[in-house]
Amino acid sequence: MSSAFVYVLAASAVFGVGVYGLIVADHLMRKLLSLNVMGSAVFVLILTVGGATPAGPDPVAQALILTGIVIAVAATAFALALIVRMFQETGLTSLRGRDDDD
Amino acid sequence: MTTEALALLVFAPLVAGLVVIAAPRRAAAPVAVAALLTLPFGLWPLTLVVWRGETVQVALAGFAPPLGIVWRVDALALTMLWLTLVVVLVVSLHALTSFPPASESGQRFWPLWLILIASVHALFVSADLFNLYVTLELVTLAGVAMIAIGGKPAAMRAAMRYLLLGLMASLFYLLATALLYGQTGTLDLYQVGERLDDGALALIALALMVTGLLVKAAIVPLHVWLPAAHGKAPGPVSAVLSALVVKVALYILIRLWFWSGGAAGGDGAALLLGLLGALAIVHGSLAAITQTRLKMLVAYSTVAQLGYVMLLFPLASTAAFRAVTFHMVAHGVAKAAMFLAAANLLHALGSDRLQRLVGADQRHGVNVLAFALAGVSIMGLPPSGGFVAKWMLLEAAWRQQGWGWVAVISLGSLLAAVYVFRVVALAFAQPKGGSVRASVGARGGGRFDTTALAALLLAVLAILLGFASAPLVALIDRGLPPGMLP
Amino acid sequence: MTIGVLVDLMLALALVGLSLRVVTGRALFRDIVLFILFGLVIALSWSRLGAPDLALAEAAIGAGLTGALMLMAYRRLVAGGAEDVAPRRRPPLLAVPVAVLTGALVALIGLAALGVERVPDAAGTIVLEELGASGLGNAVTAVLLVFRGLDTMLEMAVLLVALLGAWAVLGEVHPGRLHQVDRRTPLVGALLTTVAPVTLLIAVHLLLAGTDAPGGAFQAGAVLTGCGVLLVLTGTVRPRAAAGLATKLLVIAGLAAFVMIGASAVALGRAPMSLPGTWAVYLIETAMMLSIAVTMTLLFARARALEPERA
Repeated sequence: MSSAFVYVLAASAVFGVGVYGLIVADHLMRKLLSLNVMGSAVFVLILTVGGATPAGPDPVAQALILTGIVIAVAATAFALALIVRMFQETGLTSLRGRDDDD
Repeated sequence: MTTEALALLVFAPLVAGLVVIAAPRRAAAPVAVAALLTLPFGLWPLTLVVWRGETVQVALAGFAPPLGIVWRVDALALTMLWLTLVVVLVVSLHALTSFPPASESGQRFWPLWLILIASVHALFVSADLFNLYVTLELVTLAGVAMIAIGGKPAAMRAAMRYLLLGLMASLFYLLATALLYGQTGTLDLYQVGERLDDGALALIALALMVTGLLVKAAIVPLHVWLPAAHGKAPGPVSAVLSALVVKVALYILIRLWFWSGGAAGGDGAALLLGLLGALAIVHGSLAAITQTRLKMLVAYSTVAQLGYVMLLFPLASTAAFRAVTFHMVAHGVAKAAMFLAAANLLHALGSDRLQRLVGADQRHGVNVLAFALAGVSIMGLPPSGGFVAKWMLLEAAWRQQGWGWVAVISLGSLLAAVYVFRVVALAFAQPKGGSVRASVGARGGGRFDTTALAALLLAVLAILLGFASAPLVALIDRGLPPGMLP
Repeated sequence: MTIGVLVDLMLALALVGLSLRVVTGRALFRDIVLFILFGLVIALSWSRLGAPDLALAEAAIGAGLTGALMLMAYRRLVAGGAEDVAPRRRPPLLAVPVAVLTGALVALIGLAALGVERVPDAAGTIVLEELGASGLGNAVTAVLLVFRGLDTMLEMAVLLVALLGAWAVLGEVHPGRLHQVDRRTPLVGALLTTVAPVTLLIAVHLLLAGTDAPGGAFQAGAVLTGCGVLLVLTGTVRPRAAAGLATKLLVIAGLAAFVMIGASAVALGRAPMSLPGTWAVYLIETAMMLSIAVTMTLLFARARALEPERA
């Protein structure tokens, strides 16, 4: 049993958990947490399926993950700014309710 | 020349965006306009090369794939770049008035707008799966930010939903990219196509990627985010979202399918994609018919019109490819016109509820005319770009005896006629009591300004595409996907 | 079974357990803290998988920065009167089957992919062969800056767009509302005078080491953000109504450096994004580090700019 094997299984389970959270969660911040959990799972999977060189994990796969991590935190930061402003304007922290307004 | 030209398309708007952020306010307008006006000079040398039937390739930093990233411009990419140029230039004309660069709102709008243009360019010329992921994220994030720009609750909700679904879709795409890289050792679109076998793992990776892209392309039933996102955004943003941003995902999907071995998914998968397209056409059109707000109606029309593109997968002939590429251009121009006209009417009337449109032709004739002309193209009535596109698509389906597709295409046009005529009829209707309601139209008035001019310009172009379709068809024909049926 | 595998199994179990708590919990504050813990466990997993660059990035960015941003947003919601504990609701019927099915499918794909034979001329292998020519010792940094610099440049654009987007939805800024801790508290003074310089040193070290050893602009930028967060939380700096030229230049520095060097290569007759030498790597990385730190601190403080608090 290799490390990669263990982490593929764990990451897959975490991915599933993230999907569950995304469906079930009502609070926007929890949806965002779920997305970040899913993202981490994807990053672990990228490293394990990206292959390995004699010098360790594939450097290209690692670079992709690093880029992915930064994009994720950028998107999260913007989403949080949006959530806070939405809450200030409407008092809501979820997307329930109707869309209409004038 | 071509290297400089390509670099110009990506770097000029990017540099302008940075300058607008840092420079004094009064510099924003000249800098932005200057950058926009350089774009044709980037596009022209590329056009000359592609017109000769060649492909422009630039290995970034001089590293060929699989090590590095390649920019590649063929006829399909060039067609999309031309669509981008036309839409972006005219919509910018609108934005110069609706988001004055020196104003508070303009200071928010223009940097995002310029970066969005640069990223759309970078996306269309990219031939690298991961680079496409980064540009797709950039386009999406800039799009979402611009929807929310006004801080209106409905727009922010729409932006939030778009963002969450978009991020989820990106994760699917990213995972698939890693799987393809693991199997082929390369991220270059074309090398992946050459190296990929049609084993189960490859198919699953492709399925994941297609699913992610279908969410980003808002194909029914994964379209739930689109109507509010496009319908509640500020006018110029709606226009560019519907004309360009949503199509970038379809563009990647077509690349993946016909250039990177996605067609290995088989006839069953192609049929499924086609059926989703048919569903989109019917559902989107019916939903548009039942809307009570103008911009939401136009947004649902986008859901329907995107469906036509999906018919390419089951038809898979060069005739269908020609038709669908033409359709993407024709719809882009017409829909941008429609959204600008709708936004102008909303601005002038204070609301875009359809009942408020009664009598709008008398005070806002230019915008109503622009909407109607664009509507002609959306319905696919001659003479218009939309007519040529749908006629070619009908012919392609007919030739393959795809009677089901023929029926759906015809039905789509019929339903489009219903929702377009509904708007036009209301606008031309006599107000009750016989006089134009003086209470409405507090803002804007009926004067002919650049915002109306922008809408009309695009609408006229949408019609002209029908008269002058030959050059565009000839261009598309210079880069047909490899190994396709005639 | 070796100790190593045992550690792997424990980390794996922790990952699954923590993610479940984060996703299904009902007290948001606690679950954000657990999410940070989850990020740290991921970081440990990276180092077990032989990827120290990622371990550093995950600890600093995935766990640290994301966690700090989440906690700050949480605070703002609660200060505005939002409920912390969610009401218990019946989850949608299909949620569990969909989640289980997705997880199983991904596991199947992942395990199948483990068995795929590696292509001899995979990009990653060529990177190691060409590493000497790049002048850098760290293969990951070489990919990010030299071989696939376009990705990294556009990624800096993503970060900038996130800030521009956040600014666009900022609304009214209330100056002085961020003051959290009294600076006269003895511990805080010590924190500021010792921790801040130390983080600065660590950041610079990470940046310089990153060309040859694990580290780089992202990790350094994240650590430097820690410094900024500290200044914000202790009220040493406070939000300003509008961004001045200095702030704007710092925010765009990373992207601007990349754009200028990447585009000037074309004017010199070379391929776009060609770097003229190792010095360009240092220049771009320094600019990126500063931009990342300033951008993230501003996002954290929810501000257009920050200025020293006049005590």
